[in-house]
Amino acid sequence: MSQTDTAETRTNRTESQSVSTTTGETVEETQAEWTTYEGGGETKLAVDDLDVHYGSDHALKGVSMDIPEESVTALIGPSGCGKSTFLRCLNRMNDRIRAASVDGTVTLDGENIYQDGVDLVELRKRVGMVFQSPNPFPKSIRENVSYGPRKHGDIETGLLARLTGRADPGREEALVEQSLERAALWEEVRDRLDDNALGLSGGQQQRLCIARCLAVDPDVILMDEPASALDPIATSKIEDLIEDLAEDYTVVVVTHSMQQAARVSDQTAVFLTGGELVEYDDTEKIFENPESQRVEDYISGKFG
Amino acid sequence: MSRVTQTALVRDDRTLYEAAAGLAVGLSGVAFVTGLAALLNIVAIDDPVAGLELSVLFGVVLLGLGATTVGFGVASRFDYVETGAQPSAGIVAAAAFTAIWLAVGAAVSGAAGLGTVGQLGVGVFLGAAAFATTAFPREDIGSTMPAGAVAVLCGLALVTGVVGPGWEQALAGYNATLFGDTVVPAVVLFASLVTGWSAAKAYGGFGARGRNVGAYVLTYLVVGSILAVLVGLVAFVTVRGLPGLFNGFSVGGAGLLSWPFLTNGAGLLADIAGVFPALLGTVWLVIGAVLFAVPTGVGAAVFLSEYAEQGRFTGAVEVATNGLWSTPSIVFGLFGAAFLIPRFGNQKSLIAGMLTLGFMLLPLVLITSREAILAVPDEYRDASAALGVSKWQTIRSVVLPAAIPGVTTGVILGVGRIAGETAPILLTMGGGVLPAKSAAPNVLGGFQLSASPPFVSNPALLEATSALPYQLYALITAGLSGNIQNPQEYAWGLALTLLLVVLVFYAIGIGTRYYFRRKLHQ
Repeated sequence: MSQTDTAETRTNRTESQSVSTTTGETVEETQAEWTTYEGGGETKLAVDDLDVHYGSDHALKGVSMDIPEESVTALIGPSGCGKSTFLRCLNRMNDRIRAASVDGTVTLDGENIYQDGVDLVELRKRVGMVFQSPNPFPKSIRENVSYGPRKHGDIETGLLARLTGRADPGREEALVEQSLERAALWEEVRDRLDDNALGLSGGQQQRLCIARCLAVDPDVILMDEPASALDPIATSKIEDLIEDLAEDYTVVVVTHSMQQAARVSDQTAVFLTGGELVEYDDTEKIFENPESQRVEDYISGKFG
Repeated sequence: MSRVTQTALVRDDRTLYEAAAGLAVGLSGVAFVTGLAALLNIVAIDDPVAGLELSVLFGVVLLGLGATTVGFGVASRFDYVETGAQPSAGIVAAAAFTAIWLAVGAAVSGAAGLGTVGQLGVGVFLGAAAFATTAFPREDIGSTMPAGAVAVLCGLALVTGVVGPGWEQALAGYNATLFGDTVVPAVVLFASLVTGWSAAKAYGGFGARGRNVGAYVLTYLVVGSILAVLVGLVAFVTVRGLPGLFNGFSVGGAGLLSWPFLTNGAGLLADIAGVFPALLGTVWLVIGAVLFAVPTGVGAAVFLSEYAEQGRFTGAVEVATNGLWSTPSIVFGLFGAAFLIPRFGNQKSLIAGMLTLGFMLLPLVLITSREAILAVPDEYRDASAALGVSKWQTIRSVVLPAAIPGVTTGVILGVGRIAGETAPILLTMGGGVLPAKSAAPNVLGGFQLSASPPFVSNPALLEATSALPYQLYALITAGLSGNIQNPQEYAWGLALTLLLVVLVFYAIGIGTRYYFRRKLHQ
């Protein structure tokens, strides 16, 4: 984070404070100015005025934030604050929920992913996702990793491909090894790639899911509480992996654990009950000197 | 209060009381099993055992069991042993004993020649007494006294020969007669079930633990009797069917198997009449029905659970399929006869039978496939969608493979039902009562190509064909005569063959399911 950025945030704070003093005690605490942090690098994902309704339930209220590339952005907040909903908007997984309606724009590398004619297959290839509980397919480890590329036709297996000479087992092997290596799982499973993935431990399954996601070669990886179902050792492995991945990928991670957010993320967005983004800033800043009283209360455990 | 004193957490000393109660439970079990054997005619009730007729021995055992059961209750009530007896045996036990004693009272007074009013009076009186005895005293008395008394009464009846091997009773208004060889085992089964339960409660020291042991013994005895019925049924058919099935069976010199019952037809020229045409007919029938029903049923299930919006439409389809599954098979047969036969050469044919049975199988395949697909976790679908994989590819590569074991279960159940269907075959497929070998359907060799539409034809599919259950039915209604040497033996062999064919289909299905389960989880 450069010096100028910090200065900019400072200015924002002064502005917001003046607003609150003029309108008195009853002011709504959500200050758009506290969320205009722009981060260190190029903006990868820009979210503008995002609203999500589940039927009559207003789950996310006018959220705007820019997510910088090749960094870790943590989303924290109490249960039901909309952080997972927000995450699922970034690869349009909310389309799969019938009752959900999304308004606003999300731009990925300058293209609005909510405009007409967006190819969801292409979008989700570029924005991968890892879920809360490990969910490998009931297939072999190798098939799990190569599942995405196979279905996209990047790797051809099967009888027809073999007959026509288009099958390339070497390429598949290389991709599987590379993806597992990147997910720090290769050493543990290299001798049993044909075993069923459900035989792995929870932490290994979660890293397999990350490898499966990496095999599709995304730009952005969304993680929805990736370690909440794991023990402390598996959790620390996942955390190391997240930091490592941020060198090449844009990682957005939802977490319940503030320690985890503090450990792994470069910037943190705090959502509070009611689906509002209250504050978004450098992780260090959020945890040491938040602007909002409510965020400070939440972080110090007084609320949420 | 005796139940307060039993506070030790670990009890390793086995008291004489417990040993006696355990023995009584065991003896009740033995009596129960022997009673079952007598009911199935494996042992005869007038066989002499240890110098006594079996039915008298039963009586002695029941007398002993009844007396000791009462003894357990008394010993506990008067604190000769410490038990955890609760204040009452409970309303369920009381109601059960009321019903039992009401029936006992009515039966005994009926046998004693009292009129309807007398029967009713005695029954109500004994029922009320049993209720009072069970419900009001402490549990140890309440759950032993009425039980022991039932056993003593049954024992007395058997020992004195009031009910014995020669006993018979015409049932007024039923045009039927009860004989001793049915009633004696029934009495023994009933009384030993009651004493087994009661002694098991005593063994557990009454209270919560006693009830647990009592329920355990009761459950095991009942499960045992269900198994006995199943095994007895299969054994009955097997024993009678084996001579017919293995008539002329030999393993030839060069390991060549000769099994005329399965490979012969029933023509005049065959030395040993066989069931080959009907056997092949049944096999093709099942294959045809499965080939029709599985793709359509699974396809419909995929549409209903993955594509269609859950609502009124899917609800209506669900109700319709459930209704179709419980539609009587003769109705399917009638539909086949009226709709399919005019469209396939205007005569009963193999393909009409296949399709009719396919229609019957369809609803079950649809229902079970749908449940299997809905049981596939949404996590898999989410994971696949998040990788950018399209819906159809997800269904094909993730959802359907995970649902195969469930689908297979449905097909197994359905095949078990359709393989034994007679009514639809009677109406749509026909075939001879005793078909010669030449009448066997030659489906694989029957395909013919032609230059004009429909370009391919198969006469074997369009001929009337016999199937095992239909042939059995036809044989029986034809009076088991026919041009075969030993029709009785032939028919039982046929029945056993049908049983084995269904079992083989089951085995194939279970093997498939096991294979795919392993593949999914290991």
